[in-house]
Amino acid sequence: MREEFKLLIALQDLDIMIREAEEKKTSDQLKDMGFQLDGLEELHKGRAKLAAKIPAALRNRYERLAAHYRVAIIPVTGDKCLGCFVKLPTSFFSSAYSSELLTCENCGRLLFIP
Amino acid sequence: MTVKAREDMGSNKLASLFQEDLCIFSLRSRKKASVLQEMVRHLKAAGKITDEHFILEMLKNRESLGSTGLGLGVAFPHGRSIAIPGLTVLFARSASGVDFEALDGKPTRIFFLILAPSEKGAETYLSLLSRLTALVQQPKTLKKLYDVKDFETLQEVLGGDEG
Repeated sequence: MREEFKLLIALQDLDIMIREAEEKKTSDQLKDMGFQLDGLEELHKGRAKLAAKIPAALRNRYERLAAHYRVAIIPVTGDKCLGCFVKLPTSFFSSAYSSELLTCENCGRLLFIP
Repeated sequence: MTVKAREDMGSNKLASLFQEDLCIFSLRSRKKASVLQEMVRHLKAAGKITDEHFILEMLKNRESLGSTGLGLGVAFPHGRSIAIPGLTVLFARSASGVDFEALDGKPTRIFFLILAPSEKGAETYLSLLSRLTALVQQPKTLKKLYDVKDFETLQEVLGGDEG
């Protein structure tokens, strides 16, 4: 997998964590269990550093998809995109293991093969 | 929480969410970072994940947000990642305890590692986390967890939770 795609996946994992810590419902649940979430600023700094390492065009594409779908990068299970559940064309799998970024032709999400 | 997620969690006995190959009854690591690494490596060795890097990074970031060592000798490292195919729980125990920067400053002896996929909502793991954090508030159960050395005993201890 290309390094920039690895960085993008790490960015998404971080974004999900930040969102959970910022959204009232989930943060209240976590605090009720006893978790402290006072390192949010640290996470934002880490996110900025990580994002800066990703080429702008790819990062912008991710940001647009994340703004629309919340989760921009989606795993492929079987022959379907788990974002829109549309079957991926056979041609997809012929290039699936190359180092190129993969895109669901139906919903536009970025695809990750675990 | 969705109705389906609530039903899924509600119908599961706590003990049934644990697997024998996802238990470490004697952690070798003595430091926080290496404990996380040992648990993630164990997941990979058990075939539950393909890439250690993403999970380890996510868990380190989670600890930056605030230690998941809640005190009483128990920690709950947790989070969501695209590299996790489904709800995954790993139990680990350290006989001597580890400095996990717990909120009460005491060594951590029991670890519940809880991981969930990113494409699903937080409710996929928060319900389980809630049940486990409540469970360790029971002094008798906690004492038994400190001493658990095999999967059968773990199942018995967790089986006390009616879910």
